[in-house]
Amino acid sequence: MVELSWTETTPLSRIYRAGSHGAKTQAAGLSLAELSGFELVQTMARRGQWSATDQACREAYGKPAPARPQAVKAEGALLIWSGPDQFLVLSPRAGGSAGMDRARLAFAGMASLSEQSDARSLIRVSGSRARDMLAKVCSLDLHSAVFPEWSAAATSIDHTAVNLWRGEDDAGGAVFHLLIFATFAESLWHTLLDSGAEYGIAIDAPAAWQQ
Amino acid sequence: MSAAGQKNRLASGGLIDRNKPLSFSFDGKAMSGFAGDTLASALIANGVQLVGRSFKYHRPRGILTAGSEEPNALVELRDGARREPNTRATTIELYDGLTATSQNRWPSLDFDILSINQLASPIFVAGFYYKTFMWPSALWEKLYEPLIRRAAGLGRAAEKSDPDHYEKAWAHCDVLIAGGGPTGLAAALAAGRAGARVILCEEDAVLGGRLLSDGGTIDGLPAIEWVAKAVAELEAMPDVRVMTRTTVTGVFDHGTHAALERVNDHLPVPPEHQPRQRLWRIAAKRSIVAAGALERPIVFGGNDTPNVMLSSAVRTYINRYAATPAKRLALFTNNDDGWKTVEAALAAGVQIAGVVDARAEASAEQRALAAQHGFAILNGVVDHVEGGKAGVGKIVAALAGGAKATLEADGLAVSGGWNPAVGLTSQHRGRPKWRDDIAAFVPDGAPAGMVAAGSANGEFSLAACLMEGHSSGAAAAGDLGFGKSAGSAPVSDEDAAYSVRPVWTVNSKKKAFVDFQNDVTESDIALAAREGFQSVEHLKRYTTLGMATDQGKNSNVQGIAVMAELTGRSIPETGTTIYRPPYVPVAMGALAGHHRDENFHATRLTPSHHWAAERGAVFVDTGLWKRAQWYPLKGEKDWLESVTREVKAVRSGVGFCDVSTLGKTDVHGPDAGAFLDRVYINTFSSLAVGKARYGIMLREDGIVYDDGTTSRLAEDHYFLTTTTAKAGLVMQHLEFCRQVLFPELDVQLTSVSDQWAQFSIAGPNTRALLTDIVDPSEDLSNEGFPFMGARAVKLRGGVEARLFRISFSGEMAFEISVPARFGDALVRNLMAAGEKYGVTPYGTEALGVMRIEKGHVAGPELNGTTTAADLGLGKMMSTKKDFIGRVLAGREALVADDRQVVVGVKPVSPSQRLRSGAHVIAKGKVPAPETDDGYVTSVCFSPMMDRWIGLALVSRGRERHGEIAMAHDPVRGEDYEVEICNPVFYDPEGGRQRG
Repeated sequence: MVELSWTETTPLSRIYRAGSHGAKTQAAGLSLAELSGFELVQTMARRGQWSATDQACREAYGKPAPARPQAVKAEGALLIWSGPDQFLVLSPRAGGSAGMDRARLAFAGMASLSEQSDARSLIRVSGSRARDMLAKVCSLDLHSAVFPEWSAAATSIDHTAVNLWRGEDDAGGAVFHLLIFATFAESLWHTLLDSGAEYGIAIDAPAAWQQ
Repeated sequence: MSAAGQKNRLASGGLIDRNKPLSFSFDGKAMSGFAGDTLASALIANGVQLVGRSFKYHRPRGILTAGSEEPNALVELRDGARREPNTRATTIELYDGLTATSQNRWPSLDFDILSINQLASPIFVAGFYYKTFMWPSALWEKLYEPLIRRAAGLGRAAEKSDPDHYEKAWAHCDVLIAGGGPTGLAAALAAGRAGARVILCEEDAVLGGRLLSDGGTIDGLPAIEWVAKAVAELEAMPDVRVMTRTTVTGVFDHGTHAALERVNDHLPVPPEHQPRQRLWRIAAKRSIVAAGALERPIVFGGNDTPNVMLSSAVRTYINRYAATPAKRLALFTNNDDGWKTVEAALAAGVQIAGVVDARAEASAEQRALAAQHGFAILNGVVDHVEGGKAGVGKIVAALAGGAKATLEADGLAVSGGWNPAVGLTSQHRGRPKWRDDIAAFVPDGAPAGMVAAGSANGEFSLAACLMEGHSSGAAAAGDLGFGKSAGSAPVSDEDAAYSVRPVWTVNSKKKAFVDFQNDVTESDIALAAREGFQSVEHLKRYTTLGMATDQGKNSNVQGIAVMAELTGRSIPETGTTIYRPPYVPVAMGALAGHHRDENFHATRLTPSHHWAAERGAVFVDTGLWKRAQWYPLKGEKDWLESVTREVKAVRSGVGFCDVSTLGKTDVHGPDAGAFLDRVYINTFSSLAVGKARYGIMLREDGIVYDDGTTSRLAEDHYFLTTTTAKAGLVMQHLEFCRQVLFPELDVQLTSVSDQWAQFSIAGPNTRALLTDIVDPSEDLSNEGFPFMGARAVKLRGGVEARLFRISFSGEMAFEISVPARFGDALVRNLMAAGEKYGVTPYGTEALGVMRIEKGHVAGPELNGTTTAADLGLGKMMSTKKDFIGRVLAGREALVADDRQVVVGVKPVSPSQRLRSGAHVIAKGKVPAPETDDGYVTSVCFSPMMDRWIGLALVSRGRERHGEIAMAHDPVRGEDYEVEICNPVFYDPEGGRQRG
């Protein structure tokens, strides 16, 4: 019997090249990275069960379920608003399906769960020109006064649905995260590279997502 | 390159940088200019007056304006793939190496054969084409239109595709200001100081507007210094963004504005990675139109002669560019502003030949100036200019008393008064209102959130512009709740009242132009009036007045005034045409942005894409997807050979196909079954956990919408699949059903299309292959995993997967899905484990062949006209429950017994190729719409039948199995006999898939 090999890929792993891209600027205006190694669970409260879901979320994750467009740092997971009565639970993949199992346990009977760990590519966008690049692909106002740290949005890039949130600022300023559809990932990645090329892009080494 | 050729360049002054000489060429002739020049100002400095030929009559034309409204000085800029026709020389910033060519002339600008069109001008009047080229009508498209287009042309588009990149971007602000002159700067300062987020767009490369040409004193500083100070203050504010080379071109709903940024038009080639132009969508809570005013010409004979120039433009060329358009200049004015040009010209050492002022009284200062410099002030109008391609010769004035006077000059500055730029404020069907005191239209309201300020609002003094700019900026910010101080308004003592006596036309006997760019004369308007085209909208269409790229900026008001006079109405009674975006021309490239060539739309790749590409698969665009169409092997001569091999390999052994493109939706919730019962024609609430069922959805009108298999994975969890084509639409439809139609049902939907890599594995050796993939603990036997079974399984190595025993090919088949991160590994494992079975990957073509052999319907049959019964699936329609489309599916026409239904067809001659689209006609009938019984929907070469076969929609088809009919294919000119037959060609008993 042939030995089977189960090498994992990420949505971008076949085309991902860490290093510099675009204009040769003194310091890259933009950093991009694909983050992997996460579990992602779409959580949708059942009819009339939002309060129960919220309560269960407080108990299991230590934070209320996001009822507004924001990302909530909870215990061992990031809870990202994705629409009315629904949110995403993002957690590091620790082997197996611990994240999915935890959500199942927490929300049994009150919310419907779908695993989306493989359905999205998670891209981090940072650097001084991050907003300028995103302005070319995203219609949202990402100014700090409107979109402060931990704001989230369900929006679109190139007519493709995207979950976008702003994490904690780093030394270069605002840090944005995009969850894009896995089958569109290569196409949208090229669009991001084209849009940011004039600012000089540092493509970081692929890394595991960490809260 | 020396500056020697710049014979009209002043030794000093202007805002050009004499330390940065630039060389350029016009019509192949080498010339020079300086940084800060436009192409127009550099041409003037080099003594060029003749720049182009007019649209219809090929009349010699020069430069009329100094702005983006220029109707005459249109050139082909650059060459090769970057050649850009109809470029306004007045907006092109000069760069080193610029090449420009005049257009619409042959063989040369100086000697243009088609200028004989002028001699025939009595017949080239308004409506000429419609009247002259009427008969025979068949010649219009073939002969007349091409000829007319060649003769009445503009520049030539580049023949190669544009090598440059364009893009689009969004911006957001509290206050958007269109125009960076004194009004706009004052508004930006006020709004910015108050704390608002401000975007200031200026069309020019530098801020200042008319201050750059007219100077003045603001806050005790020379205007240029004040501008620099204002810009510095604005740039220090973090939430103020100043965008030069950017024109606000349109205002749309909810405060969305369009603005075109010419990022790199001022360079020969955009720097690497940078776009040439960028189209902005600016969402602004408030906007202030500070777009200024445009000076208007007067209609007199020969008013289009080169070097008849708008007075303000003459001033701009002298003051801003230190380029003198004439040695001896005359002025024709009807207002005080025109006189400023006399002062500017005198200061630059230009002689004044005389001033023709339509107003009876000149001021004491004006008389003193004339006396000091020895020129006459003539009360009257210019009747006509004598001259031609060599420019202005004589200027003949008609004096108020009736006498004629002649001025000798080589240039004529004309000021007919000023029109506020009402384009933006009028874009939402706004109609500007007439103000008699300034003889101009001014905005009458504006789209929500927008106001006009300064000269765009009819305030023509510098003091008033600054004050209104400041107050509108402060008001916009205050309105939005920004409470910081807007500071004090900039102050100027230039607050002279503007005095104008309207003169629209002098009724000259000579050819007098209203619309320069479209060659519309005063007599064309008279003709339109005589022929009944008196409404401004009719006038516009009949004469093409205002339809050129300047959109009537230089002509509409005069045209309206002439029509008003002819019809005995006032100007406001005559009214304006509708204003529409864009305010200035926008290149198609900018509208397309990034979305061209391979970026026309986003593309989707299947989990096995890279593996398939490694194998040399041929891909086909299926919606947004790239799907493997077939996998050619070395030595195969064409697609048919590859596809036939793939089909035979599957039917005799085992093959697999990536079906991840099917739409996949999790349907969750206690009411999931009830929900599916309502959206499908058949019942799913009764489906056992662990089983799959084929379902059909109808549209509300009873026509089939989509099909696919849905499996029940848990009591409250179904996994629904759709066709590839309808995946997104079905998801929308289901969400609509869930949220709007059936809100009482507790059901949740999530698209999981991207989560799963899904492959169909088919053929007699499927189970053997799967045994090597699936964990030995899983029972794949007919008993352990019967036909239409569906459940989670563990694979060897521990990967969690799902297996569905469903078949589209008619073979023993499973669909296997794994989390997408294992998709690439799975396909490689299938190849490795399947080697001993000769496993063969197959593409969409083989998939299609096998479904046609089995008579399975797909997109060509689910074509938006067929019912379930038409497809042979009528028995699936439950009579025990309600579902979407049930009632309307029972309409008389949808259940008529002569409906076209799915049948099989095969040519009687085994070697005959069958083609999709061929009509099916009963034998002996003459093909005609009345005898048309249907058409062939899907065809393939069937390797199992060894002939071409197909599916067709044929009237009463099920009663006609065995009938020989005609296939009539007028597109390919073929007629051949076909046999109507059972659509299931292969394994009609279906034993193979139950294997």
